[in-house]
Amino acid sequence: MRPRPIFLLFAVVLVLIAVVAIMVIGRRERTEFLQADADRILDDPRMAPRTLARGRRVFLANCAVCHGADGRGSTATGTPDLTDQDFLYGTGRASEIEQIVLHGIRSGDDKGWDLAWMPAYGRAVPYARSKLPSLSPAEIDQLTSYLRSINGAIGEDPTAVAAGSTLFQEHGGCWDCHGRDVQGDTAIGAPNLTDGKWLRGDGSRRDISRIIREGLHAVSPAFRGRLDPASARSVAVYVASLHGPKEKK
Amino acid sequence: MNPPAGETKANLRRWWQPDVHNERRSLTLCALAAVLGLAIAGVGLFKARGTRIAGVPPEDAAVVNQIPILLSDYVAQMQALYNVSPSQATPAQKRATLNAMIREELYVQRGVELGVQNDFTEVRNSLVSAVEAQQEIDANATVPTEQELRDFYQSHLQNFQPEGLMTVTDFVAPDLGSAQRAVMAVRAGEDLASAMAADGLKSSGATDDGEEFYFAAEQHLGSTLFAIAKGLHDGQVSDPIADGGRIHVLAMHSNRQPVPEDYSEARDQVLASYRTDKIARMRAGTDRFLRERADVQIAKALQ
Repeated sequence: MRPRPIFLLFAVVLVLIAVVAIMVIGRRERTEFLQADADRILDDPRMAPRTLARGRRVFLANCAVCHGADGRGSTATGTPDLTDQDFLYGTGRASEIEQIVLHGIRSGDDKGWDLAWMPAYGRAVPYARSKLPSLSPAEIDQLTSYLRSINGAIGEDPTAVAAGSTLFQEHGGCWDCHGRDVQGDTAIGAPNLTDGKWLRGDGSRRDISRIIREGLHAVSPAFRGRLDPASARSVAVYVASLHGPKEKK
Repeated sequence: MNPPAGETKANLRRWWQPDVHNERRSLTLCALAAVLGLAIAGVGLFKARGTRIAGVPPEDAAVVNQIPILLSDYVAQMQALYNVSPSQATPAQKRATLNAMIREELYVQRGVELGVQNDFTEVRNSLVSAVEAQQEIDANATVPTEQELRDFYQSHLQNFQPEGLMTVTDFVAPDLGSAQRAVMAVRAGEDLASAMAADGLKSSGATDDGEEFYFAAEQHLGSTLFAIAKGLHDGQVSDPIADGGRIHVLAMHSNRQPVPEDYSEARDQVLASYRTDKIARMRAGTDRFLRERADVQIAKALQ
């Protein structure tokens, strides 16, 4: 028996209503998500699970190629570990990470982070943006000894350590970014050099001296225009979840 | 004499009858429509606010003449101005932030209308930088495969070698004869210091600080002496060299020529260099494309 046209019409109308309802609810949720404070999404039991699931998908598709699927980065390539509390930039808040996702670091985007990079002191022109002195191989050795000694290495030549300390605090110019206390500056992405955590290499004499000699100049791309706003926010929240709540010092 | 009122009414009714052809009526209505159209266009031109969209998209804080002000920019601006997140900001801070951003957007749009890029060097420079930055953003977002990186590394090996290192002494001789005698004595196996001292050669002091990078040695020795020093082996002395009105003899203690680092060691630099190369290629391509597309006419006198 053929269904009556009135039932067909009724079914079509029902489907249409369902589609419209789904669209309206989806839009409302999207609006609520995008207009929420990014730093509070993790604490919202309604938004957090879906955001984390979506964020992980976006992370695996776009970020894992450098930071690894587990987000632990690589000291071989100088890619930061996103799961620790040793923040290079900012304080690890989702809103700060969202800005990095959208505008990058040294990506060319005017709104991204790009205040400084590690000069290559073993080159004729260590830093393109301002005049910095090159260092001699002996000076690089002294700085290396100093940095190793403040990270607990034993057996460093005390004379070299003292000379390295003077270089760091004076004409080497290292203090300008890493601070007089050598604890870095998250406003410009200068790492803490006293905590035994190394962005590149393992803190060996060879690795430290190479960084001083050749510099570091890594880039985090800007995903604005490549990720839609909801994906960018989801991945930022996901990355913020990797390091957990900030430890109180 | 005016026609009677009844006749006028009848004329009007006849004039308005749609089934009766009336050329004058058509022209009159046409003219009225044209005037009305012009009036609407005029009002639109001088009072228009642009087409409004149904609402502000969820990712935007505001839309100004259809140009969005992104929520993420608004949040960043609030953070920069007051160091607070949106949930911590007071209504006054939110209003002030948004008003400042709307004002900026309006002024940018007004600037475009006025064509300020034709008058202000700073605006022109910013526009050029912005277009170049866009190429940089695109290039930096590319993720080459390991094989592509390895191929790039192989074809640009010289980019991935650290500076060479040398420890060299630059001796200055009183004359050519004593320089030749000193060189022969060293080559015959005599101790360097005593052979040089015996013939009156003294260090110039240019490279007495010990081991140096090649670029530093070149600065200290000058290009002529450095070119010769680069080719010396450990323990070798050069022939006497006339340079800058003096006779020099170079004694090489240690010469470590630059050697490319392993791919694994240099990978981060390979990636950076790959992207820099890509930016340069994209810029060259854009330059070509813009030139080809443009109609550039050059004054005869300058051709």
